[in-house]
Amino acid sequence: MNPTILGQMISADLLKLRRHRATMVTAALLSVGIAIVYFAFIEARHHGNLAGPQALSDGATLTGIYFGAFAAILIGAEAGTIDLASGVFRDLVATGRSRSALFLVRIPAAVTIALTLTLSGFAVAIAAACAFHGSAAAPTVGLAVEMAAWVALATVVQATLAVGIASLTGSRPVTLVAIIGWNTVATGLLYLASFLGPVRDAVLLIALGDLFPGQQVGTRAHPGSSIALNNFKLPMPAAVAVLVILAWVVIPVAAGACRTRSRDA
Amino acid sequence: MLAGMTITAPPVIETRGLTKRFGARSAVCDLSLTVPAGCAFGFLGHNGAGKTTVIRMLVSLTAPSAGTITIAGQSLAGHREQVLSRVGAIVEEPRFHPHLTGRENLRVIAAARGPQARRRIEPALERAGLRDRGNDRVGTYSQGMRQRLGIARCLLADPKLVILDEPMNGLDPAGILELRALIADLVAEGRTVFVSSHLLDEIEKTCQAVAVIDQGRLVAQGPISELIGDRQPRYDLTCDYPGAALGILAGHPAVVQVGQTPGGLRVTLADPRAAGAVTAALVTAGVSVSSFVPVRTSLADRFLGLTSRVGGSAAGGSAAGGSAAGGSAAGGTA
Repeated sequence: MNPTILGQMISADLLKLRRHRATMVTAALLSVGIAIVYFAFIEARHHGNLAGPQALSDGATLTGIYFGAFAAILIGAEAGTIDLASGVFRDLVATGRSRSALFLVRIPAAVTIALTLTLSGFAVAIAAACAFHGSAAAPTVGLAVEMAAWVALATVVQATLAVGIASLTGSRPVTLVAIIGWNTVATGLLYLASFLGPVRDAVLLIALGDLFPGQQVGTRAHPGSSIALNNFKLPMPAAVAVLVILAWVVIPVAAGACRTRSRDA
Repeated sequence: MLAGMTITAPPVIETRGLTKRFGARSAVCDLSLTVPAGCAFGFLGHNGAGKTTVIRMLVSLTAPSAGTITIAGQSLAGHREQVLSRVGAIVEEPRFHPHLTGRENLRVIAAARGPQARRRIEPALERAGLRDRGNDRVGTYSQGMRQRLGIARCLLADPKLVILDEPMNGLDPAGILELRALIADLVAEGRTVFVSSHLLDEIEKTCQAVAVIDQGRLVAQGPISELIGDRQPRYDLTCDYPGAALGILAGHPAVVQVGQTPGGLRVTLADPRAAGAVTAALVTAGVSVSSFVPVRTSLADRFLGLTSRVGGSAAGGSAAGGSAAGGSAAGGTA
């Protein structure tokens, strides 16, 4: 497709999402708002002695797997269903533009907004790590970049997954419940089901956890605590983790594209 | 203006054997429709007759179960993107993103149509009379304003063919007049406007040619003037001695049929030029003629006649395949 048209279509999809106030406010609260509240709470408890690497790890977990991820999923689900929900999908199809193109432009639009929000949330973590480490270890630039890259990866994967599933189901509530339910309840149970062995490597957050730059995925109420909210880190070869993550992107995207092509508009 | 003439223009829409089945039920059955270019073409049918299904197939929203669609000489199946790039359509009610402004909604569609379409946003808003409301959220628009924004959206394509599905729905009388004028303007610019409706009076005022669909089958198509025109003109006669007049007219060579009506007599002539001779014969015989008025058949009369006839015989599936050659009713029983 002509790059000018492609750019215009992505820009139009960005516009649709950007102007959807309820979704944007909710996503901003989930990604940035909760990061601010979390670090304010941690700082209040530790009085300027929050270890930098710990703060980065907590921030990356919050924005990459917990609330920031919810925001990315919310944005992806909105991007996948907004045209159907408003009834504009048929008008887009009636322009003659290929349905595959109509589907594919949703992904960069959703990813752009989701990345902006989650990386903003992670910026709060970086700021807190720099400002509040006190006499504890300071954060390093290298670790901050690694953590940010991991947050970006988790965001891209989950926003894209949500676009695919939303385009497949055509329903935002179904998409949100399915993905968030899977990522929280089902993943937590599967992680604990050690009898499943390497089958658990196929779970998205466990594969993402394997690539996490810190030692443990999760947030801690205070430094040194062994109690993490979750710890989806299982040893597996990095290549396996990458393949699993790719499959979690490619399969839903292919399914969403097929459904968009075949759907009665 | 188009009677018998435009029908010879190259067709802008041509369907052959178009069929759409939903399970065992046929919503559209073996439809062969020919829409000449450069006219306003009415597409008539009762609710549920299959009009919207046909339109949805014309703009590729749903795939036909069988048959072909050609638009502006190109097969829709083979050249979908190219064909639809010059088609503007409102299917069912116009829908928009309610959280975006009118202008932004046009931007969304223009993005899919290409850079030229973006340049047409302002002229389209102007033409639809929405320039001053273009920055308001569509959620605040009335239904009439949404219809106008839908028309503006169609104009982004600089369309050769504009397809409007029930465009008068929800419009007030002023809105209907504006729409009628807009359709006339579009036709004057050389575009073809395909209007689906069950508002027969509006179609008669707006369109030059029509097709009638009933239970998914085409029952008639052609110029309105030919479709409703009586080859054997009818007149309502009022006079002082209807009984005597009946006897005189029954023996007159120009009279095809005569019968009594509550107000007088209904006379069918072989040729309208014989009307003078018929009244003269009555006067000569001593019958005083008060009025001899041509009976005008409306599109509504014709439509109801066609669809009720098909309604009665649809189970046999005998009505199909109307001719494009002007004012023909399909099925051979007209």
